[in-house]
Amino acid sequence: MKMLEYEAKPIFSEYGIPVPKGALIRAPEEVTAHLAELGDGVVLKAQVDVGGRGKAGGVLMADNGSALATARELFSREIKGIPVREVLVEERLAIEHEYYVSIAIDRSSKQPVVLFADAGGVEIESNVTAIRKVVVSPLLRDIPPFLMRELLGGAPKELAPVINSLYHVFQGKDAMLAEINPLVTTPRGVYAADAKLIVDDNALARQGIEVNRDLSEREREAEQHGFSYVELDGTIGVIGNGAGLTMSTLDLIEYYNGRAANFLDVGGGADQERVKHAVRLVASMPKVSVIVVNLLGGITRCDEVAKGIIAAGVAPTVIVRMAGTNEEEGRRLLAECGYRMLDSMDAAVKAAMEVVS
Amino acid sequence: MIYGDKNLGVIVQNITGKQGTFHTELMNAYAREVGGRGVIAGVAPGKGGREVHGVPVYNTVREALREHDATASVCFVPGGAAGDSIMEAAHAGIELAVVITEHIPVHDAMKAIAYAKLHDCTVIGPNCPGLLSPGECKLGIMPAHLTRRGNVGVVSRSGTLTYEVVDELTRAGIGQSTVVGIGGDPVIGQTFVDVLARFEEDPQTKAVVVIGEVGGNLEEEGVRSTDLPVVTYIAGVSAPPEKRMGHAGAIIEGGEGDARSKVRRLAALNVPVASRPSEIPGLIREVL
Repeated sequence: MKMLEYEAKPIFSEYGIPVPKGALIRAPEEVTAHLAELGDGVVLKAQVDVGGRGKAGGVLMADNGSALATARELFSREIKGIPVREVLVEERLAIEHEYYVSIAIDRSSKQPVVLFADAGGVEIESNVTAIRKVVVSPLLRDIPPFLMRELLGGAPKELAPVINSLYHVFQGKDAMLAEINPLVTTPRGVYAADAKLIVDDNALARQGIEVNRDLSEREREAEQHGFSYVELDGTIGVIGNGAGLTMSTLDLIEYYNGRAANFLDVGGGADQERVKHAVRLVASMPKVSVIVVNLLGGITRCDEVAKGIIAAGVAPTVIVRMAGTNEEEGRRLLAECGYRMLDSMDAAVKAAMEVVS
Repeated sequence: MIYGDKNLGVIVQNITGKQGTFHTELMNAYAREVGGRGVIAGVAPGKGGREVHGVPVYNTVREALREHDATASVCFVPGGAAGDSIMEAAHAGIELAVVITEHIPVHDAMKAIAYAKLHDCTVIGPNCPGLLSPGECKLGIMPAHLTRRGNVGVVSRSGTLTYEVVDELTRAGIGQSTVVGIGGDPVIGQTFVDVLARFEEDPQTKAVVVIGEVGGNLEEEGVRSTDLPVVTYIAGVSAPPEKRMGHAGAIIEGGEGDARSKVRRLAALNVPVASRPSEIPGLIREVL
């Protein structure tokens, strides 16, 4: 789950990373109350989850006299289509130099990877060749000094403790990504001018996060039933078991020039109740005129699935392809109620295409 | 067979759980069918002394290995505790840990895999269906009735999609040497490169089907690393960017991992890429 800057900065600060003084406001007028403590000159930063926020006009400078007008301006903007509802007001730092640092997971080496560049800020994406990287054993609590030296090159040594603290954030918060861009030097020391943190969805519970905000309401409902679910913009509903097989079913619909309305993976060993909920959830989308059910597996019992489909009793045509335990019984039950069961996923998708065309 | 044969002795971690119990019975049914040793002991903390389908249960892996000659483990321990169980198995001397568990926090997976490596323990998974060498051994949850012994290796990040492809191959009369599900998570023990290296050493395997998904670039790494004839299939070409399709690993990141560019890069390596699973048997015949 992605954290916004105003949520990530207090966490970084807890781990000893200096961050600018600041406050979150939800209306332009609230800015005036914070001006005295922030000193002369502030930065107003829209709290929206988009990349390239600065270039898109989401970060504005102001002095104390113009802060209110600037806040009104920022709250009236949309940043890459997202309206601004929250703004972080911060003291303006006397920046000497901007650096880039992030820690992510390197799939290939199966270890954390630390990335660093001498030139941070908005230019980082156009200048990827300047990035140095080191991988760190996940069994170590700190970035060893020899790796830190390799990472920093000629950059000031005072950055090292901050980067090591970021590594502690990465470990302690179950992060998929922890990033500071820019990491800045000022006459008062090193600061994290921005903060980005993405927490592993599989670790939300132990991080005390109850609701995964990255999911839509329907996606959250699906998650409660044990499905994974994504809404798309076509007309053919899809229910499968296993992410790969379900994705493959979506691809096959596209191959036959159709458009899928959703992705729904019912998970392993789906029973009657779960299948019923899945079929109803997909059928509840008004644009769905046909649903392809594609289930395969050793554990999934076809008679259970058939009962679930029949119990759902939905209006759109349901076309079923399944293979597994009690296949014959499932076929018989479905046939009795007038449902079609086909032998291959190609045949099922072709049949669905006939319904929509 | 690339990870073990009939003689492989297996333990099951969390054998008393619903999945552990169910699949112990299925693994042993397969072992009986092929004349293998199968699951000879189980582990469940606090439940030592019991039996599950005739298999003795121990409190720790160390205790189980004191009484039984096993070198492989199949892990059904739930998400938050699974990392610890992998380390326990490696520490006790298990050489091959097959981790079925899904939803393991990725930091736990990284630590456990690194720790296992220090103890010379090979990890397959997490979030995987395990492996099956037809006629030899089954470690995990793959439906054995779909498989047939032969000379095509299958390596995949998916579960059910693997069964789909194996079913297509078997129906077309093409048998498999070993089928390995390496798991759908961002961090996994054995990658395509590792499994393909084993297939290359295996005299039985003449060609390999590589089944990938959106996310990362491990498929290309694997295909580049081998001299064996390979056919690939990548699921997720219709997936919109930034949408997570079930597997933690199947998120499209910054262009590199999206399925279409992955397909293009594989095609540029002169590797046949099937556009749907039913094309795979035909493509395999061409490279065999």
